[in-house]
Amino acid sequence: MMDIVLQLLFTGIGIGAVYALVALGFVLIFRATNVVNFAQGEFSMVAAYLMVVFSVDLGWPYWLSFLLSLGGMALLGVIFNLGVYYPLRHRSFLPVIIATIGASILMANSVLAIYGPQPQVLQGWFDTPGIQLGPVYLDSQYLLIIAVTILLVIFNYWFFERTMLGKKLQATSQDKEMASLLGISVSTMIMITFIYSAVLGGLAGILVAPVLFVSIQMGSTIALKAFAATIIGGFGDVTGAIIGGLALGVIETFGAAYISVPYKDGFAFLVLIFFLVFRPQGIFGERVAEKA
Amino acid sequence: MKLTRRDFAAGIAAGIVAPHIISSARAQGATLKIGMCAPVTGPAAESGGYAIKGAKLALEAVNKAGGVMGKQLELIVEDDQTTNPGIVLAFSKLASQPDIVGFLGSIRSTQVHAMAPDVLKLGKPVMIGGTDPNLTHMGNQWLFRCRPNDSYSGSVIADYGVNTLGKKKWAVLHSTDAFGTAGGKALTESLTKLGSTPVLDQGYANQSQDFTPVVLAIKQSGADILGSYFTFENDLGIFGRQLRQLGVNIPWVGSPSIVNITALKLAGPALYGTFGVADYAEDSSEASKAFGKIYRDAVKVAPDNQSSWTFDAINVLSQAIKTANSTDPGKIREAILAIKKFAGAEGEYNFDQNGDGLHGYNIVKNEKGTIVFDKHIESNG
Repeated sequence: MMDIVLQLLFTGIGIGAVYALVALGFVLIFRATNVVNFAQGEFSMVAAYLMVVFSVDLGWPYWLSFLLSLGGMALLGVIFNLGVYYPLRHRSFLPVIIATIGASILMANSVLAIYGPQPQVLQGWFDTPGIQLGPVYLDSQYLLIIAVTILLVIFNYWFFERTMLGKKLQATSQDKEMASLLGISVSTMIMITFIYSAVLGGLAGILVAPVLFVSIQMGSTIALKAFAATIIGGFGDVTGAIIGGLALGVIETFGAAYISVPYKDGFAFLVLIFFLVFRPQGIFGERVAEKA
Repeated sequence: MKLTRRDFAAGIAAGIVAPHIISSARAQGATLKIGMCAPVTGPAAESGGYAIKGAKLALEAVNKAGGVMGKQLELIVEDDQTTNPGIVLAFSKLASQPDIVGFLGSIRSTQVHAMAPDVLKLGKPVMIGGTDPNLTHMGNQWLFRCRPNDSYSGSVIADYGVNTLGKKKWAVLHSTDAFGTAGGKALTESLTKLGSTPVLDQGYANQSQDFTPVVLAIKQSGADILGSYFTFENDLGIFGRQLRQLGVNIPWVGSPSIVNITALKLAGPALYGTFGVADYAEDSSEASKAFGKIYRDAVKVAPDNQSSWTFDAINVLSQAIKTANSTDPGKIREAILAIKKFAGAEGEYNFDQNGDGLHGYNIVKNEKGTIVFDKHIESNG
């Protein structure tokens, strides 16, 4: 019995960590721009395809392909900011959100046009698919995903709390006018946020691709759950995104195991509805009225 | 003669419109059109490409042999986007063209269910690949199946597992869509008839990212054999890998998707040693071998049921139109139902009054990535 619980817990945390990585991208952009970037899932998909191009098609070393893919995502972040957000930055949030939805459709269909609809196989970072630890099988790719998520939590804390750039980004997200008066280049900070979010989304896509395969739909599937995780954790809260993602992964895995497999996705959205009704600010979010 | 302004305007209008009318009339008469709904985009876009290629190969062969009723066949493809609303829209676009004499629907039962009311309203023959038995048993006389239905696959999987492999404790795993539910039900009923009521009957939702709870349920059930109905190959790939990783190595007999090219590519070694019921098996007959050869020559990949059923659908439809010597839907319907002992890539077609052309399945084995024909079992279910 215990071995089953441990196996489910490991898998739940693993899949939850993927949601958390994408959710983090949602949160960072929301904090900086007050809009939800619905193309965040497509960042994951594009990065996974870049890995296929570099690592599988061109046969370049895995680490080099990884770096080039993340570099490509940074570039995509720049293009996305300049092409989608920047021209609409003085408009209300609605046109920007619609523009991000349009951009996500454009990205998905561009990849479809260039690469075709065939799902692709991407090998994982390790030759060994996993290790047996007592009664529990630990998939090496999920181990890597969990490790990267932990490292990112530490990095984010250090970056946003201990570095000047991080504090500038925080200041920009809290009050753009005040940040501007203090000499912070708001547009540069927003640009950096888009780059970082694109890289984070890309990282999630590259890490999860060996498990879920590389397909046009992979981004939207993950993004939907990540969006739910963001609301559960508290929109705009970095810690909330991580906790929300992990909680969602664990809840849906245990819900599937002990209540119903076909309604697995339903559990995630039941939790989402519960939060929207009873705690719309999420676990870590503060009430809008309480914001200083 | 005095040319009035009205005469001049009428002359100009006639001059503009006439070539269009003439060319349109010529186009209508020059070919016999067949409409095809296929997933050009969406999750099944890859297999949709194979389906279109299969249909085009049959079309080319028919046209090379002189066509039908002295006319060349023409294929009009509409994208069904691999969704139910998509296929309803695609079919309505095709149905609005009165010169289309017959159609190819979907290999997905859920999509055929979605388009079925419009098919009934239109009243023209639609060849389908969806294997939910209900499709040809719900009073829609215009659906004709070019694959064996799931009541047959269920009985063949059960027969092979119980009588050939000697396994009695079954876990049945199926998608919760129309195809998977009908397939799982058919397998469970066949097993119950054989005295092996499944120890686990488990459904799952399409596009799942994780199958750990399912694999653990199979492990806990104590099953010594697994029967499955997967709709999408990526689900099958993820499940197959997790099944092996979590140490479940019981024999596995799956529905046709287990031997699809995409599934073999995605799941790789996780599917080695598995068995599948396959409506198309290259070595099962001379007609199957012949199709395999022309498909490989043309497409450069191994053929599978995605392309073989559309290949047969075009051949059956054109044969029926030839026999009927008419494009009247009722006459074509009668001619399809009269088809007996017609050698197709999928097997020998003997249409029954429900519109089912095939009544048995091949059993194939995945031997290190190569699909090997084992035996053909004609259904007794």
